[in-house]
Amino acid sequence: MMSVLSLELGIFIAGILGASVILQRNYLESGEEGTKGVITSGLLFATVGIVASGWTWSIHNSLMESGSSSMCASEGLVQCGSVIGDPQWNNLFGMPWGVIGIASFGVIFFVLMTLFLDQNAKRSPQFVNYLWYLGIAGIPFVAWLVVIELLLVEGAPHICPYCTVIHLSMIGVFVSAHFMKKRRANSTW
Amino acid sequence: MARRRGKSSDLSKNNEETLLWAGLATAGVVSLVVIASLALAPIVSIGPEEGNRAPDFVADAYNGGSWYEFRMSDIWDWDWDGNSSDSKWILIQFIDTDCPYCWEEGDEMSQYHAQWKDRVTFVTVSVHLNIPNHESSKSEIEAFRDRTSFGTNENDGDGCNSGRDNCNTRPGTSHQWTYVDDPSNSIFAQWELGGTPFSAILQPDGVVAWNKLKHQGQGGDGEDLPSALQRLVGDS
Repeated sequence: MMSVLSLELGIFIAGILGASVILQRNYLESGEEGTKGVITSGLLFATVGIVASGWTWSIHNSLMESGSSSMCASEGLVQCGSVIGDPQWNNLFGMPWGVIGIASFGVIFFVLMTLFLDQNAKRSPQFVNYLWYLGIAGIPFVAWLVVIELLLVEGAPHICPYCTVIHLSMIGVFVSAHFMKKRRANSTW
Repeated sequence: MARRRGKSSDLSKNNEETLLWAGLATAGVVSLVVIASLALAPIVSIGPEEGNRAPDFVADAYNGGSWYEFRMSDIWDWDWDGNSSDSKWILIQFIDTDCPYCWEEGDEMSQYHAQWKDRVTFVTVSVHLNIPNHESSKSEIEAFRDRTSFGTNENDGDGCNSGRDNCNTRPGTSHQWTYVDDPSNSIFAQWELGGTPFSAILQPDGVVAWNKLKHQGQGGDGEDLPSALQRLVGDS
């Protein structure tokens, strides 16, 4: 049986914590430096989201190949096998959620990167709004995937740690977008 | 005026450059993640074609006693080495309890099961085709499998075989294997089927070894199910 804690999970958690600390230190600080900090935290959340989605996609592929994966535990309450390996729930229109995660966080990453490279560009208010809408759109998916983990997969409830990392990344992007929107409204951008 | 135009053209150039760099950074990160993910575990071909892993599914199933949650891959032997005769092959059949050809095939399936049950696990997926008089239910599936009374022998839409027969008159004996209910036809869709009956033989590790449509469809070699069982599994 595989341990739930692993180096990869530790790195992802460190990424989430790092992004949260950057956000916490900057969200009240006015001016360009504070804005840059909030954008950086959003970028870090999105990066963790992309990489963790790729990791879950690999777990999915290895489960399809051999029925088991050395990349995550497959027994107990906290595990991936029953969640990522579930043929009924780990797909949206036939695509595994890992692929959808890479694509979604990729779009978010692009929007954040444009803000990061030139936060005073004329399009910034519009891009902050895009980010805000993307964040809002992501939250129902997070809620739905938590319901799937806890209630619907075979042998539920289960908690998939890498999926949780992705959910936290999405929430982190949403919170960053919220503070960016607030900074624009309060003229503290 | 010329200076102002120059300034605005510089700004728009900067805007375009920013978008280009952001796009390149995003493409770089996403490509790296995709390549690393595929290097760790490549995509597995899943589908009904021979040589692919059969589509996995979780659905309600009936074993003659009760309904329970059945997962197709739970009966696969992932460690099958290609030779071991201890592992069982799998015959997956798709029917509609109201389809006349499926009704007739009931007898053949009884015979195949009697002959190969020790080396082949039989699974029947009951779909709900969207055709008049093809309304089905869990009770009808139970009656079809068990060959018990359900409906009448009048052509009144009540019972099996387009509602023409009581299910207890189905050709063949009671089927002693798992019947899966596919009310939304999602398993049927995963197998890319257009009608019933259909059957396929899977290796013990879940890889499709024989697909009826490939052999009995247009351009096929005409090999039928018992011949395929004989060729792949051998004598019972």
